[in-house]
Amino acid sequence: TAGNKIFHFGPCRISMSMTEIRSGFTAIKANIQARDPIRTLSILSHPHSLHKVKSSDRCCITYHLFNFYVDKVFKHCKTEDSYVNRKISSIANSFLSVKRRLGQCHEQNKCVCGQESAEKFKQILANYEGLNVISAAIKSLGELDILLDWME
Amino acid sequence: EDALLPAPQNISILSINMKHFLTWSPVIVEGETVRYSVEFQGEYEREYANESWIPICECSLITATVCNITEDISATVAYNLRVRADVGASRSEWGTLKGFFNRITTSLTPPLMKVIADGYHLLVELEDMGPAFQFCVLYWKKGQESRMQQKVVKEVSSVVHLDTMEAGPDYCVKAQTYVETINRSSSFSQTQCVRAQGGRSMWL
Repeated sequence: TAGNKIFHFGPCRISMSMTEIRSGFTAIKANIQARDPIRTLSILSHPHSLHKVKSSDRCCITYHLFNFYVDKVFKHCKTEDSYVNRKISSIANSFLSVKRRLGQCHEQNKCVCGQESAEKFKQILANYEGLNVISAAIKSLGELDILLDWME
Repeated sequence: EDALLPAPQNISILSINMKHFLTWSPVIVEGETVRYSVEFQGEYEREYANESWIPICECSLITATVCNITEDISATVAYNLRVRADVGASRSEWGTLKGFFNRITTSLTPPLMKVIADGYHLLVELEDMGPAFQFCVLYWKKGQESRMQQKVVKEVSSVVHLDTMEAGPDYCVKAQTYVETINRSSSFSQTQCVRAQGGRSMWL
């Protein structure tokens, strides 16, 4: 089915149409990754993969990452390809819905941020800001499945 | 380009079972073929991408006055939609949908279903309504509504086996759809009843 997934981050419960997001990303993954010449660097996985994050920090990291993608990444990914732009819009609008729900959890103190998640997210931002903004945005978009796999 | 051409009017959405169509009234220009182009704008574009609009290429310079926007309405947020007309070098202003469209408002109709008694097996055939749809099927022995049973069908395969029937009583079935992404259900279909009769299928 359209594969709504319910994510339980402790008391924070988030419903997300994972299949729709994944199908939107799969449709443009090759196109986006072909625009990323720097294969030796990663935004999300350097120096440690997301899988090293403690479960107690998962909600906060997810919250930060959805804000990161909505606030910083998608807007710099516009391409000359109308089909790719439509799929990016689809993913961005889905991310916006989830970002809002995570924000509500955060406001209700159900998505607490510890030292480790702050450090981890700081590292991701440093990776991002180490590249020019378009390259960083395209690379981040190309790594979306790393985030989705980690969430699932 | 002069904008003497009137913008399309009566722009509205027809949304049934998560299939969404934008429709508008034709712009009439004697002896000319009027063509239309459609664009959409999600909440993300409004709030984070300078209120940018995204063209739907399948509905660029079309002569029809309807556009299937289902593929682009793929998040449960408020969307804006607009359409303009072109005749030769003339281009109209944009006509914009009054208010937003959110897929959460789609009309959900009861599913088409066919109940089959295959010998002693109670089967149901459900309409394939697309990946967004699940089904809740209720079935019971006639007269024993209090002992109604439920089966949730997440993937529509050809036929769903509900139960093994006893000979004699009627078995009744009804179904509704459920769309997870908008967390809504349709009303129930008409009830259909069948009865097992030895090896022969029996319709009532």
